[in-house]
Parts: sequence; C-alpha cells; structure tokens
Amino acid sequence: MRIDTCYFCSSRVYPGHGIQFVRNDCKIFKFCRSKCHKAFKRKKNPRKVKWTKAYRKTVGKELAIDPSFEFERRRNIPMKYDREFWQKTVEAIKNIEEIKNKRQNTFIMQRLRKGRELETKRDIREVQRDLPLIRSPAAGLKDREKMEDSIVEVVHDSDQEMDGEDGSDSRMEVAAN
Amino acid sequence: MPGPYKRKKYHYGDTHLKKRWRTKRRKKDLDQINEDLKPEKAAELLDQEVDLDKPGDAQFYCLHCARYFIDEKAMKEHFRTKVHKRRLKALEAEPYTIEESERAAGHGSFVPAKKRKMETQKPIEGDDDMT
Repeated sequence: MRIDTCYFCSSRVYPGHGIQFVRNDCKIFKFCRSKCHKAFKRKKNPRKVKWTKAYRKTVGKELAIDPSFEFERRRNIPMKYDREFWQKTVEAIKNIEEIKNKRQNTFIMQRLRKGRELETKRDIREVQRDLPLIRSPAAGLKDREKMEDSIVEVVHDSDQEMDGEDGSDSRMEVAAN
Repeated sequence: MPGPYKRKKYHYGDTHLKKRWRTKRRKKDLDQINEDLKPEKAAELLDQEVDLDKPGDAQFYCLHCARYFIDEKAMKEHFRTKVHKRRLKALEAEPYTIEESERAAGHGSFVPAKKRKMETQKPIEGDDDMT
C-alpha cells in the first residue's frame, strides 16, 4: 500500500481517496480532496495559501530543515523480504518518529516564546504611554505647587551661602589646574 | 418555508472564468515555463518555423507568458502591460513542483526561500530574422 502526498496541501492521500491529474507532459499531480484540486485548477500557489504545509514551512511556522526528515523517502525498487531487517526498520521508524515529533514541538514552542516576550514588552510600553488615562498628570498639582513654593523660600534663604560655596569651588579648581 | 426558494443567479457572467479553470484547455504552468526559460529551449521557442495556424505565424512569442502575438508591435505593447510584469514577478521565485510538495510533507528537508535573480525581460533578438 502506498500513501501518496497531496500536491497542494502535502497531506497524505490514502488509496481510494482523492483525484489525480495527468498533465500533457506526463506529470502526475495527486490531490487529497476536491478543495486542493480546485485550488490547483485555479493556479493558486501553494506557498501563498495559508492552510498548506508549503506555506507553513516557507514562512517558518514549522520546522523545515532537519536531518530527521531525511529518513522517509519514496522508493520504487522493492526490497527482498528479510525478517530481521524488517523488525529493525520498524523499531527505527518508531524511534525516528519520536525524535522528529519532539524536535518539531520544541521548534514551535521556541517560536511562541519569542512572541510572548514581545507581547510583554508591548504591554509595558502601552502602560507607560497611556498612564495619564488612569492617573491624571494634574493630580496633586496644588500640593506640588505648595511644596515648590516652600522649597523656593528655603532656597532664597540659603542663596548667599550657596554663592559663597560656588566661589570657593572655583578657587579650588584654579588651584587644581 | 412558504413559497419556492429564490433562484439565485450569483454566478451570472463568469463563464469566461470557469472556462479558464477547466483542465481541457489548460495553459502552461509556471514550472513548465521555467523549463522553457532554459537557453536551448528558449532559443527553439523564440525562433519557430512558420506555422499558419498560430497567431502571427508563431513568429512573435512571449516566453514568460507563453503567448503568441500577431506582430512585433503587439508584442512590444504586451511587454509594457501589467499582465507581463506580474508574470515576471511570479517567475522570480523558483516555481513550485511535485518534489517540493513531497519535501513539505516531510520527505526530505524543505528549503524554504528559493530565491532567484530578477528575471529580465526577454530581449527581442528574433526581430532581424523575422523582418
């Protein structure tokens, strides 16, 4: 039993399902369902249609390049039956599948993690920008003015002392030079 | 529901579209055109023998759009059209193939961005032979 891949969405095509189109240069296009066949007839580019595997891999939503993909291949020459070999391959298939799934899942999780970081950053920026909506910048303005007035008075009192200090500083600098 | 349903004529006047989507007279796909762009094939297509059944006796052919024109003027006009430019743009990326669909399914690594240098407009070299 051979499980084909759909030309358009790259899903599996089981025997008895889907439809084939043979182009006049003998190329066989296999489709899993009429949705894919219709899209093909309309000359849609699978790389630009969001629900296809080709799109997800070109845009980087799924793991595209990995050595674990190199095991599964179409083979047109039949193998001679060998019990031991057969058992080994079945074991290997299980292992490979497990590793592949793990890698694909980690790839997706890492991708999502980055999005979450950006999201928190964006949230913080939004809060900082729109804080006046929650707390008016004029809140407590009178109190602050009063405070400032009192500070100014204090400064007026200590102005002379400040001048004296400044003078001494400049003198110090001169000495240092 | 009382009464008959409305006979909805939502697809009135799109026969020309439907005809285009049929596989009966299907135009060349992008991967076929990509094959045509290879130098030997291109030279062959650009310098065709006189075929009285084709428009312009098959002397004025646009490679990228896989179209025949009746004369040089019409072809030059076509080069300035949006249709042609759009096609050039579409051919910039390497066309999608059956092999790529298999790679996308996980049979081999899927090399995502198949970039290609800008496809320049075909130089009108065949003019001297034709006139």
